[in-house]
Amino acid sequence: MSISVEHLTIRYGSTTVVEDVSFAVPAGSWTTLIGPNGAGKTSIVSAVVGLQRVAEGIVRIEGYDIHELSERTRAGLAAYVPQRPVIPVGSTVADYVTLGRTASHGVLRAPSPTDREIVDGVLERTGLDAFRHREVGSLSGGERQRVVLARTLAQGTRVIVLDEPTAGLDVRHQLDLLDLLRKEVVECQLTVLATLHDLTTASHYADQLVLLSAGRIAMSGNPADVVRSPVLSESYGMSLRVVNVEGQDVVVPLRS
Amino acid sequence: MTTAPSRRVMLVWVGALTSLLLAVVCGLAVGPTPIAPGRVLTSLLSHFGIGHSSLSSFDQTVVWELRGPRMVLGLLAGAMLSVAGGTYQGVFRNPLADPYLLGVAAGAGLGATLALVHDGNAVNAPTWTPLIAFVGASSAVVMTWLIGGRGQRATTATLVLAGVAVASLFTSAQTFLQQQASAQSIARVYIWLLGSLAGASWSSVTLVLPYVAVCIAVCVVAGRALDVLSLGDDEARSVGLSVRRVRLVVIAASSLGTAAIVSVVGLIGFVGIIVPHVIRLLVGTSYRRILPLSVVVGASFLVLADTVARTALAPSELPLGVVTAAIGAPVFVLILSVRRGLTS
Repeated sequence: MSISVEHLTIRYGSTTVVEDVSFAVPAGSWTTLIGPNGAGKTSIVSAVVGLQRVAEGIVRIEGYDIHELSERTRAGLAAYVPQRPVIPVGSTVADYVTLGRTASHGVLRAPSPTDREIVDGVLERTGLDAFRHREVGSLSGGERQRVVLARTLAQGTRVIVLDEPTAGLDVRHQLDLLDLLRKEVVECQLTVLATLHDLTTASHYADQLVLLSAGRIAMSGNPADVVRSPVLSESYGMSLRVVNVEGQDVVVPLRS
Repeated sequence: MTTAPSRRVMLVWVGALTSLLLAVVCGLAVGPTPIAPGRVLTSLLSHFGIGHSSLSSFDQTVVWELRGPRMVLGLLAGAMLSVAGGTYQGVFRNPLADPYLLGVAAGAGLGATLALVHDGNAVNAPTWTPLIAFVGASSAVVMTWLIGGRGQRATTATLVLAGVAVASLFTSAQTFLQQQASAQSIARVYIWLLGSLAGASWSSVTLVLPYVAVCIAVCVVAGRALDVLSLGDDEARSVGLSVRRVRLVVIAASSLGTAAIVSVVGLIGFVGIIVPHVIRLLVGTSYRRILPLSVVVGASFLVLADTVARTALAPSELPLGVVTAAIGAPVFVLILSVRRGLTS
């Protein structure tokens, strides 16, 4: 297993936000966490990359207990796209993407020629080569998310964890970004753990869906099964139907 | 982290080094006994084994025993305060941070006041004033760190708030002491608080040099880490930065270096906030560029300001802080408006 989450419990003070959650992401596959706001998705993904303290349970990436490792070792195992990435003022695309190589060269050394080659490769693959000298802050939302994804790809890890990578993007840019990620997953044998709000896209881009409700796993499994289950509607507290349009599942909310 | 065109960065470096040379020559040549800059240069070069000094022995004493230590202490103070301000701005991700943010100034102020009111009738400040000021400054920062910088919940915000609390506490104690003191010692405290290089001697230079040199070096080396830190704590950790350790080391170096300087020269304001800012406007937001330039520009700026402070109203001296603000503020406004004109 590339990522394994075992009996994970997370508390903020006396409030339990995630309780006894266990799931595993096999190497080279894509798992997406779904569930209503406040179900604990963000807490789980940030615990997976070691940024969130865990009350109970254990998170392993490539077999290593993530909370036992130093930041630098951790950064060599998993890269992370947070829900709201901080874009440093004045940072160019090339400089920003190069920050993804920090764990490799360390903060006391300059990026090596190999680091630069890797960054160049990522910029080319993500179609950002023409933007390399532009300020990240001056780019559109869609381009900016692509730059953030490029930074995580430059980190060169086998595991990528993304928290709502498509938040704030229009339909077209959402799919462009996820397509780009899928291409990388296939070509570089990456393992992905993501959270997504849009249930239709979530079901299209995952090998496994984990449905969370109030901090617990309500259901997990094959995307087609999860979106068709009555548990989905129960978890969201509203009626959700699956309509098949030209062979593709579309999840539609129904107003009662 | 703008990658400003490297041509511009080169130009800024040339300007910075020229101003450093200018500052050194002015610091040594200008004063009540004017000495030709050329002769100061030959004397300066003779110290490096190049040629012979053409100064008379009287001028030699003026240049190397009176102005020399004052110039060198000015270089150290300007470099330290500027680089500390730059690092603080990086660590706190706040362009308004200055080296006094965590209570260094209030701590040094209390320490110095204790020493200065101790013997209210003495004409000169006790020789141990710097030591007590240093103890006050460093204990204020350590206290701030203990209150706001430890534990899982600590953020830069808790640290800044702790700094505000500690500074208020120390300032209130200092004000109380001052209020109990004689008019003469109040005046001395007041003069001390304004900051001055007038008390400089080679012994005060050698006293602070080791600390300040190490602290400046640590701050400059930390530039790359501060660039990573501009991603915010979580993302910086996710790309492999040990945020806690970096913050501790960088804050310790910039605070202790500032404490050492402040305990000798008093509270010189403005340099720490304005110099890194001006450099940022010129070369972009990368701390790898800002910090080394802050060392050079801060050093030259303070020595030039001190040259004005000791000559403008000679034989009396202007408080150095007044000069740094009076020169720095308009320069800053000018650069800001020029940059705005360029970008709009």
